[in-house]
Amino acid sequence: MKKILGVALGILTAIGGFLDIGDLVTNAVVGSRFGLSLAWVVVVGVVGICLFAQMSGKVAAVSGRATFEIIRERLGARAAGANLGASFLINLLTLTAEVGGIALALQLASSVEPRLWIPVAGLAVWLVIWRTRFSIMENVTGLVGLTLIVFAVALFLLGPDWSTLADQALHPRVSAQEGLASYWYYAIALFGAAMTPYEVFFFSSGAVEERWTIKDLSQSRLNVLVGFPFGGVLSVAIAACAAVVFLPKGVEVSSLSQIVLPVALAGGKLALAVVIVGIVAATFGAALETSLSSGYTLAQFMGWSWGKFRRPARAARFHLTMIICLVVAVGVLMTSVNPIAVTEYSVVFSAVALPLTYLPILVVANDPEYMGEHVNGRLTNAFALVYLVIIVVASVAAIPLMIVTGAGS
Amino acid sequence: MILGDLLDAPVNDASGNRLGYVVDVRLVLDGPLDGLLAAPRLHGLLVSPRTGTSFLGYERSGVEAPALLARYFAWRHRGTFLVHWQDVAEVAPGAVRLVDQFRRFSPALPATGRQAGR
Repeated sequence: MKKILGVALGILTAIGGFLDIGDLVTNAVVGSRFGLSLAWVVVVGVVGICLFAQMSGKVAAVSGRATFEIIRERLGARAAGANLGASFLINLLTLTAEVGGIALALQLASSVEPRLWIPVAGLAVWLVIWRTRFSIMENVTGLVGLTLIVFAVALFLLGPDWSTLADQALHPRVSAQEGLASYWYYAIALFGAAMTPYEVFFFSSGAVEERWTIKDLSQSRLNVLVGFPFGGVLSVAIAACAAVVFLPKGVEVSSLSQIVLPVALAGGKLALAVVIVGIVAATFGAALETSLSSGYTLAQFMGWSWGKFRRPARAARFHLTMIICLVVAVGVLMTSVNPIAVTEYSVVFSAVALPLTYLPILVVANDPEYMGEHVNGRLTNAFALVYLVIIVVASVAAIPLMIVTGAGS
Repeated sequence: MILGDLLDAPVNDASGNRLGYVVDVRLVLDGPLDGLLAAPRLHGLLVSPRTGTSFLGYERSGVEAPALLARYFAWRHRGTFLVHWQDVAEVAPGAVRLVDQFRRFSPALPATGRQAGR
């Protein structure tokens, strides 16, 4: 019984933890502009993150080494240093977006200016990182984040024309006023939102934090392979809600209040309250994960002691890194930059940086000196190579498309 | 001299023709006991004709998956050879010069039991 509960808890937190500000914003924007014609990208992204998270989790469980320790060992100091620079900056951008997302959600609940909430949000994230146990932190934000299921409920309550939605999803067309370049730009943004690098830093370091062994692999595989696809279903539900409410009127989503409007229309005040709780939990959970990822990546590269299983005094530089990153994120947000715009850039740059972490993990997952008999099988490698091509193409195409489309505008 | 001076350094033969770049060094643990471990000895340099980038571990003959990546790295490093440290005449700033009649050895590392997955 305890085991079944453990499996259920793992799957539920994987669903609730899948969504972050990047998924919320990108799916809603895409839904309002392209309907469900980009839903296939969510499928591609979810399969990709399942594969990538599973590989990095396996490497961490078998070899006891997290992602950036491996990158440093395999690439050497200089190439790994360049890799760290890019990954660290993009992770900082994502952290900024998540803290901004918390503040925007709290603004929706309270009508208090987001700039008053931003320092509070940053402080709360730091306190939780400093004081709370890893497993509690993960489970609480994951379970509360499950309330985002209200997007799926809202979609049913809105009573959409299902055949139109299915037609958009199954026969993707690009409308005349959007153009092919914007379509592919948003395809890359959605892909980057589903496959953010921090998820992998966090997943592999979390495996070390929770002292996974080979025995835990089947459970982790189940969490990932069941939890993430359900998270993907919620992503599509967010896009579908926006497609039903905004696409016919030609309104483009550009604020958090618009993202939650379909839920409010369908379910009234109660649903609105639930969705705000869900968004706070999702962005707060992701803010914790990105803060920790900033500490993990730098400490693993430099060889500092790291991890929440150590008391903060025993991993002082790890904790100091996270404090500095949170201060920077809060500082950037206090300049009144729009967190939604930060989010849109962060998902695209995530796609740009993805090959930097994906390739070393793929190589090490095949290295018998790390993995012994647990090296990748043929089927995994076949998938992994297909995704290597997709990831490299998305990464190379992202910045030219950003320039051509004026960042999708 | 530190290892970082050698990595990426261009390699010339005795008459100054460019042979390639140092991509890795091979160390042997057979020196006198230094504390608990045998002191490492520099056995030779791996010289790749076209690129200073890494083999990413695919120089070991027991590692060939995923096949496409292994092939790609083998192709990118085609012509790579191992040269013994005795055949290095001089390490000048910015270039390594080899002796007149240096010998080229295969860069492959034979598979160990662990690598064969046993």
